Amino acid sequence: MDPILAEIYSTVMTAAPFVIGAYALMWLVLLVYLLMTALGLKRTEKQIAALEESLAQKR
Amino acid sequence: MTETTTKTTTKTSSLDRLAIPLIIVGALLTTTAFVLAFTLAPLVMGAEVDTPALIGGKMVANKLLLSQKIFYFHMPVAVTSFVALLFTAIYGVLFLAKRERRYDLNAKVATEVALVFILMTMVSGELWTRYEWGVWWVWEPRLTTYFILMLLIIGYFILRGAIDDAERRATYASVFGIIAFIDVPICFLITRMVPSSVHPVIFRTDSGLPPPMLIPLLIALFGMFCIAFGLYRTRLREQRLRERLTALKESLED
Repeated sequence: MDPILAEIYSTVMTAAPFVIGAYALMWLVLLVYLLMTALGLKRTEKQIAALEESLAQKR
Repeated sequence: MTETTTKTTTKTSSLDRLAIPLIIVGALLTTTAFVLAFTLAPLVMGAEVDTPALIGGKMVANKLLLSQKIFYFHMPVAVTSFVALLFTAIYGVLFLAKRERRYDLNAKVATEVALVFILMTMVSGELWTRYEWGVWWVWEPRLTTYFILMLLIIGYFILRGAIDDAERRATYASVFGIIAFIDVPICFLITRMVPSSVHPVIFRTDSGLPPPMLIPLLIALFGMFCIAFGLYRTRLREQRLRERLTALKESLED
């Protein structure tokens, strides 16, 4: 590679892992929260359906 | 607390139905912003080089910085955390004024979403700091005020967990949420009050950014708003259903 271009682009490759890491971690945090919420919602909906059924049977 | 507010419902409101589509729209917008940040937005200039070179028809006399690309998501998630905390404060005031429990639940979920976005801001900022300065932390004004904000939000949840009585918990949490929000304008305006070389002033009359940089930034910002609102409504629905579940269990026991 041209030494002048190599100097101009010298920080690009070294910064790449940090840029990729930053974006990956941001998405990870968001995905974990989304999954926790979605799974919690599903679980609660199931429990409510089961309880409502047993309440209806009791009545 | 009023009787009507302790009752919960499993009915899905129109806002709840919007949650998933909003998250999808947000995901599409942020993906677009991500692509544009690496294609449309140019690399910013760093330190000067000894000999300029002609790249793409332009003379380049500086090192080109890739690390600045973190900014296109870092700043939108930080602004989203501020907006979420604004809702914490609004619902806190509403709870204190009307003593209706639903406002406390809204404030709690808004604060939870704010914490998620604060964590995203911190991790992205930390990686930038680590690369550019070779250290994980610097006591710079914006970083310090934002760090205090994060501690306040963690404190908010510790406070909630420490009080058993629902009425007292809601009152204390509302007051604490409003106090925590005071740090938001301080954090936002600190770069204007104490100029910092690290955090530029973005929101001003001329925006401070050329269109190729401003477009991905704004798309990411609106995308994050959509995701945050979608997450907020989904989590709120889950929390309301949990209350309904508790009420049902109590009826069964009776």
